[in-house]
Amino acid sequence: MAGIGSEIKKILERDSYWSVLRAYGYAGLVSGGPWVLSILSIMMIGILAVVLGVAQREVNAFQICVTYLMAGSLIWTGGMQLMFTRFVADQTYSNNQAEILPNLFGVLLVTMAGGSVWAAPFIFWSFAEPFIQQLLLLTNFIVLSGLWIALIFLSGMKAYRRIVFTLIRGYSLGIAVALVASPWALNGLLLGVLIGHGYLLFSFLHHIVREYPGHSLLKFDFLRNRRNFYILFAVGTLYYLAVWVDKFIFWFVPYTSEAVIGPLRASIIYDLPIFLAYLFILPGMAVFLVTMEADFAEQHERFYRAVREGDTLMHIEYRRDQMVYAARQGIYEIFKVQGLTVALCLLWGRELLHVVGISPLYIHLFYIDVVAVSVQVLLMAILNVLFYLDARREVLIITAFFFITNLIFTFATLHLGAETFGYGFAASVTLSAFLSLFILSQKFNRLEYETFMLQN
Amino acid sequence: MNSGTETRVVQAVRAGRPMADKPVADIALLLEGTYPYVRGGVSAWVHQIISGLPEISFAVIFIGGDQKMYGPAQYQFPSNVTHVETHYLLRPAKSSKASARKGNRRAFSEMAELHAHIRQSAQLSGEEIISAFSRLGSAEGVSEEDFLYSEASWDYITHQYRERCTEPSFVDYFWAIRAMHAPLFILADIAAKLPPVKAVHAISTGYAGLLGAMIRLQRGIPFVLTEHGIYTKERKIDLAQATWIHDHSDDVCNTLHDEMGYIRGLWIKFYEQIGRMAYAQASPIVSLYEGNRLRQIADGAAPEKTRVITNGINLQRYQAALEKRPDGIPPILGLIGRVVPIKDIKTFIRTMRMLVNERTDAQGWIVGPEDEAPSYVNECKELVASLGLKDHVKFLGFQNVAEILPQLGLMVLTSISEALPLVVLEAFASGVPCLATDVGSCRELIEGNSEGDRALGAAGSVVFIADPEGAAKAALELLNNAMRWRAAQRAGLERVKRYYDDKLMFSSYRELYVQALRDAPGGIPGGAPQPSASPASLTIQE
Repeated sequence: MAGIGSEIKKILERDSYWSVLRAYGYAGLVSGGPWVLSILSIMMIGILAVVLGVAQREVNAFQICVTYLMAGSLIWTGGMQLMFTRFVADQTYSNNQAEILPNLFGVLLVTMAGGSVWAAPFIFWSFAEPFIQQLLLLTNFIVLSGLWIALIFLSGMKAYRRIVFTLIRGYSLGIAVALVASPWALNGLLLGVLIGHGYLLFSFLHHIVREYPGHSLLKFDFLRNRRNFYILFAVGTLYYLAVWVDKFIFWFVPYTSEAVIGPLRASIIYDLPIFLAYLFILPGMAVFLVTMEADFAEQHERFYRAVREGDTLMHIEYRRDQMVYAARQGIYEIFKVQGLTVALCLLWGRELLHVVGISPLYIHLFYIDVVAVSVQVLLMAILNVLFYLDARREVLIITAFFFITNLIFTFATLHLGAETFGYGFAASVTLSAFLSLFILSQKFNRLEYETFMLQN
Repeated sequence: MNSGTETRVVQAVRAGRPMADKPVADIALLLEGTYPYVRGGVSAWVHQIISGLPEISFAVIFIGGDQKMYGPAQYQFPSNVTHVETHYLLRPAKSSKASARKGNRRAFSEMAELHAHIRQSAQLSGEEIISAFSRLGSAEGVSEEDFLYSEASWDYITHQYRERCTEPSFVDYFWAIRAMHAPLFILADIAAKLPPVKAVHAISTGYAGLLGAMIRLQRGIPFVLTEHGIYTKERKIDLAQATWIHDHSDDVCNTLHDEMGYIRGLWIKFYEQIGRMAYAQASPIVSLYEGNRLRQIADGAAPEKTRVITNGINLQRYQAALEKRPDGIPPILGLIGRVVPIKDIKTFIRTMRMLVNERTDAQGWIVGPEDEAPSYVNECKELVASLGLKDHVKFLGFQNVAEILPQLGLMVLTSISEALPLVVLEAFASGVPCLATDVGSCRELIEGNSEGDRALGAAGSVVFIADPEGAAKAALELLNNAMRWRAAQRAGLERVKRYYDDKLMFSSYRELYVQALRDAPGGIPGGAPQPSASPASLTIQE
């Protein structure tokens, strides 16, 4: 899956500040893009809609709806995303490229149709809103579920420029439609997001279909490997549950939340700072793509080649050390760049909140959230390394730990009072990152032993 | 634990008697890759011995490599086979997942001492071997799981690699060590589970011989060893030709001692060592002819334990073949043997080319199974075509030897290695002179061994290996000179009658078994099962 990372690295080799900026710019947009751009565009739609005269209440409802749609679709597809990533990697490795496309349609069918099977009754029963609005919510959910699956292919593709432009076009289209349709208030805004995401889904599918061969339309082979299935499914689901559980708690505990629309509740004090903070993972994500997906992936490949093709033990160990070095460098780089980001946020946080129009009361929550999401990038990078090493069981332990600690700590902060809000999530993600570092180091120390003695 | 093993008791008469207290057979034959699944000289001999000694009951313990390589049993067991076990040393991969474990470090350091000792002196004392075997697969020692999955095992293997391996590829070394040692655990398991027998008789060294040594040491029962070929030598030939071992002797890493790669050398040392262990425990150590006896002594067998028992054949059976012979000398050369490289069929084909140049009526028949080395068979057939011998050389496949022999004018063996080929004796008994390469006991058979034997004259010709010109010349001399041919026929008939009658062989083995069973804790032959009661039920259905 090192396609795009290595393409972007080629820009870096031109060795000028401008090329470095450009490379990391592209990398940031590709890796953090869908996530950050959605937040950004939803904020923009909100601000512009208010300017165009849509009631603030409607805009709030819109933002909450989209947040829930994101959370729901991510949790729903998390397991499938991981499972299918693994499936694609396996098929690519064993040169069965033709298997990928029919199975992609299989996964899309399972996630989109399967998702609507439970989401439709839920939406139609629990929302008292007009039918058209229910329908918009449902279709948004289905499109998002499909989009997350299609995005798996992003980092494997080489045409990063096309991807970046597609992303920009998609979100611009979404914003434009939302603004044009803003007279229909909430429905118009939802329609805009739907069209934007729909455009993205179909253009990515278009890229994928063009890039991969295929002889049949639909296959479900990705479900066949049972053991992989369960562990990866659990990991993917747990990861997104862990990321969202603190938000859900704040949404549904009465004294931190208020009802917004239908059964959906929001926590004004908690939500805004955290989503603002997520915008600042972009530098870390960019570094992640370049260091992990390119450098580490290359060293990883060389290590296993040394094992397979009969190198000396000393050279295998040397390759292992190089791989460990690449992983360590990647983690340091992310640490450095996110550290810098955190420092800048501490410096200009107040001004930033002021510009965005958020009360300075939230400043401490924003600070801790920036730290937490920065550590989350680190955690994600380490989990990624563990995935390369096929340490599924270890990743399951880490994500389960992340989920449980986030759940417990967040409840704890509710009891400790408003000044500790956000610290639960931060502590949970930090402890999980430490745990994963420890496990990774263990794994690296025993790598040759496990590779040779425990392979079968 | 024992997935590749099936044990069947093929005895109909034993109903109601508990297994454990009574021996299931007098002699357990330990057979590696031969009887009853593979046809060939050794298998025929085993079948002959079992059939020829009906008063002794036998357990047939077959040890094969990969289960896929063996088809159904090729022989119907005589009624005195009272127990059959089939084991495979290459097990299918375990279904249970490999799980990390620490491993018993003390056991591995004891193993290190053992290895160091083997390297230094090459000869182990009985106690050392006993303690090594008792550690194999046991909880206090090195269990199979420990060997395969433990950290201690990993540390030991990597340490040895760093210290000794002179070849670059670690993955090759690693798998060689695994492949070498994994069968030991299976053998230990077979030795432990084998039901009581009075004595064991291994028909080769190698894994069968090692199993014999294990059983001997664990149970204190007599262990007889018969070698047809010399296993260690054959393995060396195999290994020298093995393409599955990669030698890294390219231009880049030429070293002074690179005529053989480290891993190849390791395998040879391994086979030498397990051969020595078998020699150390076996008594007597039987070979087929003097040359092999000397070779066994050179490989570490104590001279006083060695003896020669030659093969013999049933002369009556070939009387008919003799009577069926036509009057003249048919210009037909027959090579009776498997179509495999060790028989050097290509030299036979080239010999035919030379011979046909002189005698256009000459025919060459290649009689033997062709399923063992298909690519070699193809090469031979292509050689026949390219030498323009399509009308002169025929591949007849597996045939009844007694029907082929009367039609031959000369029996030819171009092998690069033989022990005591029975076909030569069969040819003699059917009145066919032989032309053979100077390998194994061929010279003894054709020219005679003892003084009285030599006085009988030559029953054919002995030629160099891979010498088609010499072989063609010798064949032509015999075929064209009726006087010489008749003299050779007479010498062959007389020699086989006097020295290679199977009655002689049976009585030698009968005596040898009686001796062994007298030494055995159990007692007299035939004391355990009463075989002859229901012979019909004793066939194995695969």
